[in-house]
Amino acid sequence: MVTFTEHLRARGDDELVALLLQRPDLAAPSPSTLSSLAARASSRTSLERALATVDASVLQALEALVALTDGGGSARRDDVAAAVGAQRAPRDRLDRALDRAHELALVWTDEDGVHPAPGLAELLGPYPAGLAPATATQEPPVDLGVLDDAPAAARSVLDALTWGPPVGIGPPAGSPAAAAVDWLLERRLLVPGDARHVVLPRAVALALRGGRTHRAPATPPEPAPTGVAHAEALVAAESAAAAERFVRLVALLVRTWEQTPAPVLRSGGLGGRELRRVAATLEVEDSEAAFVVELAAAAGLIAEDEEESPAFAPTLAVDEWLNDDLPSRWATLARAWATTVRTPWMVGGRDERGGVRAALDPELSRPWAPRVRHAVLTALAEVPPGTVLRTEAVLELLRWRTPRSVPPEAAVAATLHEAGMLGVLGAGALSPAGRALLEEVDRSAHALPTDAEPGITPEAALATALPEPVSDLLLQGDLTGIVPGRPTPELAALLERSGVIESRGAALTVRFTPESIRAALDVGGTADDLLAGLAAHARGGIPQPLEYMIRDAGRRHGQLRAGYAASYLRADDPALLAGLVDNPALAELGLMRLAPTVLGSVASPRELLAVLREHGLAPLAEGPGGQVLHPEPQVRRVRNVRRNAPHKIGAAPSRRPDTLTSQERAGLVAQLVPTLREAEREGSDAASGEERRREPALANPVSALSVLREAAAQGREVWLEMVGPHGVHQRRRVRPVHVEGGRVRVRDEARDAELTVAVHRIASATPV
Amino acid sequence: MTNGPLIVQSDKTLLLEIDHEQAAECRRAIAPFAELERAPEHMHTYRLTPLGLWNARAAGHDAEQVVSVLLEYSRYPVPHALLIDIAETMSRYGRLQLVQDPVHGLVLHSLDRAVMAEVLRSKRTAGLVGQRLDDTDVVVHPSERGHLKQVLLKLGWPAEDLAGYVDGEAHAIGLQQDGWSLRPYQEQAVDGFWHGGSGVVVLPCGAGKTLVGAAAMARSQTTTLILVTNTVSARQWRDELIKRTTLTEDEIGEYSGSRKEVRPVTIATYQVLTTKRKGVYTHLELLDARDWGLVVYDEVHLLPAPIFRMTADLQARRRLGLTATLVREDGREDEVFSLIGPKRYDAPWKDIEQQGYIAPADCVEVRLTLPERDRMLYATAEPEDKYRLAASAPGKNTVVEQLVAKHEGEPTLVIGQYLDQLEELGEHIGADVITGATTVPERQRLFDAFRSGEITKLVVSKVANFSIDLPEASVAIQVSGSFGSRQEEAQRLGRLLRPKGDGRTAHFYAVVARDTVDQDFAAHRQRFLAEQGYAYTIVDAEDLGLSAGASEGEPGDGDTTGRATARDD
Repeated sequence: MVTFTEHLRARGDDELVALLLQRPDLAAPSPSTLSSLAARASSRTSLERALATVDASVLQALEALVALTDGGGSARRDDVAAAVGAQRAPRDRLDRALDRAHELALVWTDEDGVHPAPGLAELLGPYPAGLAPATATQEPPVDLGVLDDAPAAARSVLDALTWGPPVGIGPPAGSPAAAAVDWLLERRLLVPGDARHVVLPRAVALALRGGRTHRAPATPPEPAPTGVAHAEALVAAESAAAAERFVRLVALLVRTWEQTPAPVLRSGGLGGRELRRVAATLEVEDSEAAFVVELAAAAGLIAEDEEESPAFAPTLAVDEWLNDDLPSRWATLARAWATTVRTPWMVGGRDERGGVRAALDPELSRPWAPRVRHAVLTALAEVPPGTVLRTEAVLELLRWRTPRSVPPEAAVAATLHEAGMLGVLGAGALSPAGRALLEEVDRSAHALPTDAEPGITPEAALATALPEPVSDLLLQGDLTGIVPGRPTPELAALLERSGVIESRGAALTVRFTPESIRAALDVGGTADDLLAGLAAHARGGIPQPLEYMIRDAGRRHGQLRAGYAASYLRADDPALLAGLVDNPALAELGLMRLAPTVLGSVASPRELLAVLREHGLAPLAEGPGGQVLHPEPQVRRVRNVRRNAPHKIGAAPSRRPDTLTSQERAGLVAQLVPTLREAEREGSDAASGEERRREPALANPVSALSVLREAAAQGREVWLEMVGPHGVHQRRRVRPVHVEGGRVRVRDEARDAELTVAVHRIASATPV
Repeated sequence: MTNGPLIVQSDKTLLLEIDHEQAAECRRAIAPFAELERAPEHMHTYRLTPLGLWNARAAGHDAEQVVSVLLEYSRYPVPHALLIDIAETMSRYGRLQLVQDPVHGLVLHSLDRAVMAEVLRSKRTAGLVGQRLDDTDVVVHPSERGHLKQVLLKLGWPAEDLAGYVDGEAHAIGLQQDGWSLRPYQEQAVDGFWHGGSGVVVLPCGAGKTLVGAAAMARSQTTTLILVTNTVSARQWRDELIKRTTLTEDEIGEYSGSRKEVRPVTIATYQVLTTKRKGVYTHLELLDARDWGLVVYDEVHLLPAPIFRMTADLQARRRLGLTATLVREDGREDEVFSLIGPKRYDAPWKDIEQQGYIAPADCVEVRLTLPERDRMLYATAEPEDKYRLAASAPGKNTVVEQLVAKHEGEPTLVIGQYLDQLEELGEHIGADVITGATTVPERQRLFDAFRSGEITKLVVSKVANFSIDLPEASVAIQVSGSFGSRQEEAQRLGRLLRPKGDGRTAHFYAVVARDTVDQDFAAHRQRFLAEQGYAYTIVDAEDLGLSAGASEGEPGDGDTTGRATARDD
């Protein structure tokens, strides 16, 4: 009989590498020895993480195993198979499940059979598989024959408890149910629990279940029949349209904020009014605006600036992004979405204190968000292409795939919605670009072989789905224009500049108005340039009304001229002013002639007056109504402003260990295993050396726990060194009975006493 | 993906490329459910609206047909959400039905209990329905049939009216097709109307809507009430009916301000019906004076609100609405739908023109630059005076004069809004003026003289906007109008569209003062026609003087640059 630690030691290097890759928390930070690795592998948090990754069949096998081996020991595979009812056809699935559990070191195997890893039982709750714990005393075999003359009510009490949980509330005395319960208690088919509860003994439950722990072996759900499976062309087209739209929204956001950055709330984040303003500019719902803003920040396209009153503004990365082609722009956003810990769907909801959650609020990060996205996309990738999965169907799949970590329904629904807006889904089904994104994430974050063939990139997948750009423009007499397809970037820019977009979609329709033409002329270029630009694309020429309108707008454009002057100078005598403009001594005033009797100056009125007076002239200041002013000398005061520490958002995310690429991780892990072996060898060779002064492997409280767990499982005794409340060391030889939740129950055979020791008082535990 | 002529946008517009070889076929396929919104030269824009989709359901098309048409002709994949929306919208029609119950009379019947519960819970249906018979049926008072239909439409559950029509008093009416016959589109329009029971026929001005009315009467073979906009129009209807049908003068009555005759076919004006004395409509009894089998509404886009209310009580009678432009500036198209009926027939103007049934027309906007003095006056005027000031700019007189001279001898109408301007113009070009103040006999005399070619120039106010049949008029010059009214512009062009004997092109001029609100309103006014494919050419008044100079001897101003180029300041 070996222990879990010994079992790990006996694993081959390849197996250890595999284990460390599958359970990355075991490898980071690097454990010093295999014993501490074993201790960590049987710790509650690590087991929890490992269990979160297994599917329902593995979990069921583990439950069955824990139920069968309650109180320690092992079970044979056949027994587990029988317990879950998987003797025949689904037996492979059970075997695969147990293999998987073995690979993850959730179970270990020796000649006796399969053992659950130490600590596993605690995680599966007080009643694994709905069975009461075994009692210490050996129970007599259950004779179900007595049930033949049981009252009907008794039978239904048993039915209610058979498949667990095995604890029921005792009915009030005198009721018919109470009579049935009493009848059962008399025959030991029920036993009293505490004052109010009765318990169905384990043996009785097993007898009633026909020896099974589970009704039926766990099977994956059939892909939920949603009734909708779209053609792949449709999915691709819808996703491309959504992607194009979303990229346009982000670009529009960037374009808006580069002119007027949005102020940051004192608590960090974007105020509700600002968000609504964004929504109005983008012509979308508030929730979608929040998603656009959040994703732009996640992709590093906007961030908080460093100004005195902080604001959100586009980053330097934007210029590069804007120069990219559409598929690359989209891929940048899609990658950010897949990996960000931000949870845009929570924007607008209420936090614990009842406040409204703002977009870009630093609080809205959840480490599990990328895992949910990955899980949802994986579920979608597993059904045939084109199949639409609704939230419930995805949840059903996830309940099978990772029953211990089913994401909240709201998160799944939001993920599907976000994926739809982004174009990762098209018409509700995973798009080719979305599939490529998922594969890329899988390749980089999960342990796929490094030499795996690189798949198609999300960029390429999207580019394939986009319709061929069209550079034709149909201009019509009603002053509208239509691009019968997706416009080329150049044409799109031209139309965006000079017209009002009326309708987008498979085609683009635009209306030209005097205002839109004026706006085009405002940013530079002449009416002729604009006409030439349109004519280059117009298949049927430019209709006369449009041409006339553009020329008419050109004629009116610039009839008014504006410029900068800080002050003016007027006189009734043009000759007086004429002398001033050309006077080199007054050059610093930047005088310019606006009219024969009016000069403008770039200097302030105060400065203007001073300099003119210096030169022997006698100007007077006047107010807006022409009244004479005598300006007071200027004095200065400042307000003492206290500044708040600015909250930062949009900073480059630090790299977490689990975001390393697969190659990096595989490299690290491969180096780790020999180090562990080395440390182990040194440890067993000589109990000398700095680290091993006081049996360091066992002095470690975590490894002490694993020693206690193993001892409890095997009924062995250990030497337990404890620290009393007054700091006094005490060493006793005890038999651990149960280890759970920070306490160890041990039995001191010598003194015939049971005691419960808090884990933090345990200095060490050594097998006898 | 096909290479079809149709592009389906996610905002529910359909773009039809008309040069495509399948365009005509596609247009026929989408016409039953999509509203033609714009029909310029290259791409026609249709829109899917709930009203349009319900129209299609009313005409017996189902969502599957609609979807398959879109899929068949669409060039790109059709947005999925749009298809779902179509199915969803169309499935709302007909879950409620108005039926005639042998025991309880008019009953609202529901095929879906939840819908019935929903509409009965609404405050708006309160008072319109009576006793509830069971989960799916509720009694409706016959007088509330129209109101209820209106309310149900607003609630998004349009009712299918299966209660049928009263037969009305029979009266023999036949078409006298001697030397003429109904045009194919007129036949189709009458068929569409008759099969649908009630509804609206949309045909361009000059395309013979009166004949559609006459043919509908011949189909109905019952007494008929015809509601028209004014007395002159009433007389034209009467003359046309006498000429085209077996009806004699004695069978046709006129019910107007001057005469109150009720005969088997009675023509009444909106005005007389909506006249109130002491807060009461005094002529309502006309509606019940006979057991009318058919009610015809001429120019349904102008139907005044009181007539809507009266019509709500006429739901048991067949109703035919006629119009050229089902754009209502007041946005009450849905009331036309629920009270008169769905659109039963619609043809783009340019289609009819291509078939040669209406005259081709050339639309020109003449831009007049105001002289310095007028510009200053305009710039400093109060906002509410600006349009009037710009629209009646004195410079327009000269332009009109030049245009009249250019078309010397052709029957020409000058149309305007402001009486003093019209009087002045009349004097300027030496033409008679017809305004609201002109007596009916005098109007008749002048119109007759114009028809016979005795006079070739006529200055008219907005009295001539509608229903005045001046077949030979081939030039119209518009100097001012009711601000930005699109349908007025269309109606005015409509005066010219009767096909000419020699097949010549009609000319429509709008004289507009540059850089004023006149120009902005003109742009808005032209929108309907531009969307029907009438592209306006814009010319400068100065260039016009040059081209007219040859015949008129007007001294040119020497500016010989192209007419459309920007003039230097």
